[in-house]
Amino acid sequence: MSARKPKKSRGKAPASTSEAAERLAKIVDAAEQAAASVIDDAERQAQEQIDEAHERADRMVAERLREIADELDPGHKGEKPGGHLKPVEDVSEKRKEPAPEGRSNSAGARLLATQMAVSGAEREDIAKRLRSSFDIEDADEILDAILGPQEEE
Amino acid sequence: MTLAELQALEERYLMRTYRRGPVEFVRGEGAVLWDADGKEYLDFLAGISVCSVGHCNPAVVEAVCEQSRRLMHVSNLFYTEPMVRLAERLAESSLGGRVFLSNSGTEANECAIKVARKHANARGVERPRIVSFERDFHGRTYGALSATPGLAADPALGPMLPGFHSVPLNDAAALRDAVDESTAAVLIEPIQGEAGVYPVTDEALLAAREACDAVGALLILDEIQTGVGRTGSLWAYEQSPVRPDVMTTAKALGGGLPIGACVASPAAAEVLAPGDHGSTFAGGAVASAAALAVLDLVDNAAMLRSVRDLGTRLREGLLALDRVREVRGRGLMLGVGLEDGIDAALVGADLLERGLIVNVPEPGTLRLLPPLTVESSQVERAVALISESLLSYSG
Repeated sequence: MSARKPKKSRGKAPASTSEAAERLAKIVDAAEQAAASVIDDAERQAQEQIDEAHERADRMVAERLREIADELDPGHKGEKPGGHLKPVEDVSEKRKEPAPEGRSNSAGARLLATQMAVSGAEREDIAKRLRSSFDIEDADEILDAILGPQEEE
Repeated sequence: MTLAELQALEERYLMRTYRRGPVEFVRGEGAVLWDADGKEYLDFLAGISVCSVGHCNPAVVEAVCEQSRRLMHVSNLFYTEPMVRLAERLAESSLGGRVFLSNSGTEANECAIKVARKHANARGVERPRIVSFERDFHGRTYGALSATPGLAADPALGPMLPGFHSVPLNDAAALRDAVDESTAAVLIEPIQGEAGVYPVTDEALLAAREACDAVGALLILDEIQTGVGRTGSLWAYEQSPVRPDVMTTAKALGGGLPIGACVASPAAAEVLAPGDHGSTFAGGAVASAAALAVLDLVDNAAMLRSVRDLGTRLREGLLALDRVREVRGRGLMLGVGLEDGIDAALVGADLLERGLIVNVPEPGTLRLLPPLTVESSQVERAVALISESLLSYSG
């Protein structure tokens, strides 16, 4: 009885090739997905960092503008707690003296512009309000002081 | 339970203080509500400006769940971190002084009134007066109610607290005349909400500020409806030429949970002393955690810009409609003045049928207060529904 080495089935070869191809395709797929995921992650992280940086910048600008608003509003400037409380003896001496119209309007306009800037309003929207509420046709001086000079296009 | 059964229970057990619309809502997400039959509604009222970050905002829900699992209430005799962090956040984002946390807007105003009276007392004022605008709405507890001229005039509810006076809206001269040495405060809304969305002019705000400064009175701005981003800035006064001494806020602050706050600038921050004021639930950990989540979402330049942009789009869309006379307000707080002869209540009821929720604060006005997170397609849909309703209106 002779034992012959079984011949390799020729029919199996293509199946093997196809399995290998399939495996390869899966590996390539997985690699592509992994790569895409890495890219997505990197993009997401980059976007998060950009957003964070924007938020930080917004906060810093808002803080600075709030400080400016504090400086502009005499009622809030450098107060010690309770500083606005008037002593009892002041009452009889105090007179009702509204601030002169021009001065208060000017301070009001600057406070309006600063507060709008704090809240993130666009330059043109602030200019529009200054025009409608304070008849200020050319608001550049006020706006430049608060927002910096307008960039030339 | 059917709507009819709910209404029967209401009729038997609830005090008759509200006229409710005939709908039972069971679910909400963003700017959309669903009733018990599965019908979808676009919510342009947001629980009267409460659900400003949308219904069931995931960030707020998560904050509430997380805090609820850890600790809900310990009273104000001890510390919780959310309460203190919220006070810091509110003060630092506005007037920089101190905060009293409350459970509602009217309670925030009660605190403001108390601060004003005690502040005036320190000036030697024995009979303090508080000046408001006619048609202002400051709340329904007795101090706030006394500063709400329309409701305070009801003799059956009297007597009110003494010393409250009102002048016509935006009458700067009348306001100046009304403020004297006995004035403790001018208490006004920067935009009247319940009256029908009527903004206070810059001139009137400046007059109020100057009149208060001249006699040492406090300027109190009630930002209960206008605050927390509603007008396109975190606080409405940021789009005005004045800063108040005291500001009150509530409604949107809790994202659906009840919370309010009275924020005092350094000028008024030291007025109240231990024992002067208090509240068992105020500043509770869960409501404070919700408020912090809301502020995380709203105190954001991109969000506020979006409110201004969507507000402009909504305003322009409405102004282009037939039968709309005017649109008042700022940001996403708009009052739509309809042409004479159109009953806004009928339009409001028709819109509810069509799946749009609005409010009718006075006979000729629709009030729109959509969530600040509303999408532009939803704004367009709302304008289209209002247009259809007005075109089909036959009285």
